[in-house]
Amino acid sequence: MIRKFVGAVTASLAALAGLWLMVAPFALGTQAETGDWTDTTRSEFFTGLGVAVVGAAGTIAFALAIHADLVARGLVEVKRREPEPSPEPVPAAAPQTSSAELATLLAPLVEALREDLNNNPRPNGKGSPVGVEENR
Amino acid sequence: MKAKLGVSALVLLFLGGLWLVAAPFVVGYQPRGAAYVDATVNDLWIGGSIAMLSFASLVIYAADALRELSRRGKHADT
Repeated sequence: MIRKFVGAVTASLAALAGLWLMVAPFALGTQAETGDWTDTTRSEFFTGLGVAVVGAAGTIAFALAIHADLVARGLVEVKRREPEPSPEPVPAAAPQTSSAELATLLAPLVEALREDLNNNPRPNGKGSPVGVEENR
Repeated sequence: MKAKLGVSALVLLFLGGLWLVAAPFVVGYQPRGAAYVDATVNDLWIGGSIAMLSFASLVIYAADALRELSRRGKHADT
């Protein structure tokens, strides 16, 4: 991996040198502020532009290679975007039972309770709660 | 693949450095026999530095790749 690091450093230095080449004719005063560019300026500017672009591309390429190397060795974890959890389907509402159906269902149970209470009255002598209900 | 792209960039930078060293004489803004003008001195220093640095990086890259290859060969033998 050290070779990729050396390559990245070299490419980044070359990119900086390319930027310097682009401004050098103006910084050194070899290009007049007014007037057409001379051959010297054109040569240095466009060569510097090419060096800067190639240097930047090389830096990015080596940086990506270093990152891939680190990921392959398990030293860097790649964060993957987890897909949004799909909303759970809402269960269909249970069919509402009407009160008449409920009364029909519970009628045998109520009848059995009433018979049971009539056959075995409570020891404290109080009436059956079913009877209370009937008096209402 | 990405490293190969980087190596290609280093090769291009080496060639660009060589071009910068030759440019004053090829383009003609450095008169023959005269003292070097500022642009020539700048191009020679920058071009020479880029060429040397990129060449050294290529050599280091090749040497490290060869060392890794030989290490793999040793592991394969044992």
